[in-house]
Amino acid sequence: MLKIGEEERGLSPFELAEPRSLREALALLGADGVRPLSGGTALMLMMKAGVLRPTRLVNLRRLGIDQIERGNGGELRVGAMTTLRALEKSPLLKEWPVIARTLRTLSNVRVRNVATVGGHLAHGDPHMDLPPLLSALGATVTIAGPKGERTTPVEALYAGYLETTLARNELITQLLVPAMGARRAAYLKCTTRSADDWPALGVAVVLDGRKTSIVVSAATDRPTRLASVEAAEGLRIESDLHGSAQYKKQLLRVYLARAIHEARHASH
Amino acid sequence: MRRAIQFRLNGASVEAQVAPHETLVEVLREEFGLFGARESCGQGLCGCCTVLVDGTAVSGCLYLAALAEGAHVQTVEGAAELDAVQEAFIERAAFQCGFCTPGFVLMTRQLLDEHPDPSEDEIRHYLSGNLCRCAAYPEIIEAVKLAARKRRQS
Ligand SMILES: Cc1cc2nc3c(=O)[nH]c(=O)nc-3n(C[C@H](O)[C@H](O)[C@H](O)COP(=O)(O)OP(=O)(O)OC[C@H]3O[C@@H](n4cnc5c(N)ncnc54)[C@H](O)[C@@H]3O)c2cc1C
Ligand code: FES
Ligand code: FES
Repeated sequence: MLKIGEEERGLSPFELAEPRSLREALALLGADGVRPLSGGTALMLMMKAGVLRPTRLVNLRRLGIDQIERGNGGELRVGAMTTLRALEKSPLLKEWPVIARTLRTLSNVRVRNVATVGGHLAHGDPHMDLPPLLSALGATVTIAGPKGERTTPVEALYAGYLETTLARNELITQLLVPAMGARRAAYLKCTTRSADDWPALGVAVVLDGRKTSIVVSAATDRPTRLASVEAAEGLRIESDLHGSAQYKKQLLRVYLARAIHEARHASH
Repeated sequence: MRRAIQFRLNGASVEAQVAPHETLVEVLREEFGLFGARESCGQGLCGCCTVLVDGTAVSGCLYLAALAEGAHVQTVEGAAELDAVQEAFIERAAFQCGFCTPGFVLMTRQLLDEHPDPSEDEIRHYLSGNLCRCAAYPEIIEAVKLAARKRRQS
């Protein structure tokens, strides 16, 4: 019988653990070949491509960390296991419309139905849409580890292509986005192959009085903050399947201007 | 290691021996002989493997079967009779080979549950993760509009 592609497709076997508490989950992590599993959408792609062959996946779905709340300081608190779709539909996002707009064009409905906020932030693919926006908005994550909790800016999570600053025995448990206040924000991306494709470039702009935060993604190996609009010219841009460095450099000029324009005219 | 999991499949309680690394679309085909959901891109992009898990559309190619334990899994084979969406796809001839149709039908049902009267923009947007290699897109959009009307009338 002809079995085309069978070898590339089938996943290699692993053990699936389903802890019921955060403490139990943390105790299962740490060893070589062990990975947390949230929505699994990114993990499945890496396992199918053979770049990841875990021996054990630790599923976080029973930890009860999927609430969306508004904190006392007016901040948005999102449990790591909240699906992107649940966040997109949350009435609380009325106060952060730029996040709702960004989610609406992030991949497709089926992926958003399953992918989670924690998995999204922990994956470290520089083409992802929320890390640049959340970095520009000054968002932080709560990270649980064997020694307790720490808080870190989303911006400090990324060390390089698919590399994060998370230790192997740490888990993101919550995302905190500060209140918008009088800030205005925009996130624009350019997809070059189809509307729902991974972006060739992402640009997030947040205007806060005289202060402007600009974070660029997809053209660099991790979300990268620009100290000024002029700094765009000196940015080290990478080529990939979605466009050459030269093309992306031109895209950045155009999209940066558009994103600033859109942020200026945004109601938030 | 295989282990028995129980779930509901198109309304009936079922059990299957499942290994942790098997996907939902593999188990539906190999254990239950249900071929409506089929793996094409294997990457969450095309929607040919669409299955509803507890009423939510997922890509069966990226979903571990073991995670369906205790859930209600629905495939295009679920209904005994054609529903308004299927009728509309037939009436508008919204396919050529039909390979993508089960995925489009399930996504359309979910779209119409959320937006009973979707605009064309909403339809295009919602179905952007479903690909039709025969490019029956104009007919598919007409079929979705017709299905919405049929549903509202009944
Ligand atoms: C077809 C397709 C297209 C896509 N297109 C886009 C796109 O255009 N833009 C975009 O932004 N994204 C896109 N995505 C990516 C999608 O957003 C990610 O796959 C998703 O957000 C990952 O979430 P998950 O819950 O499935 O993560 P998982 O796959 O479960 O995990 C991802 C990684 O994070 C680790 N991890 C998971 N949870 C935690 C945690 N709580 N703490 C620490 N580590 C953790 C895992 O071990 C793994 O390494 C696309 C995905 C697919 C499948
Ligand atoms: S086969 Fe699953 S989305 Fe294409
Ligand atoms: S009808 Fe052939 S792929 Fe859509």
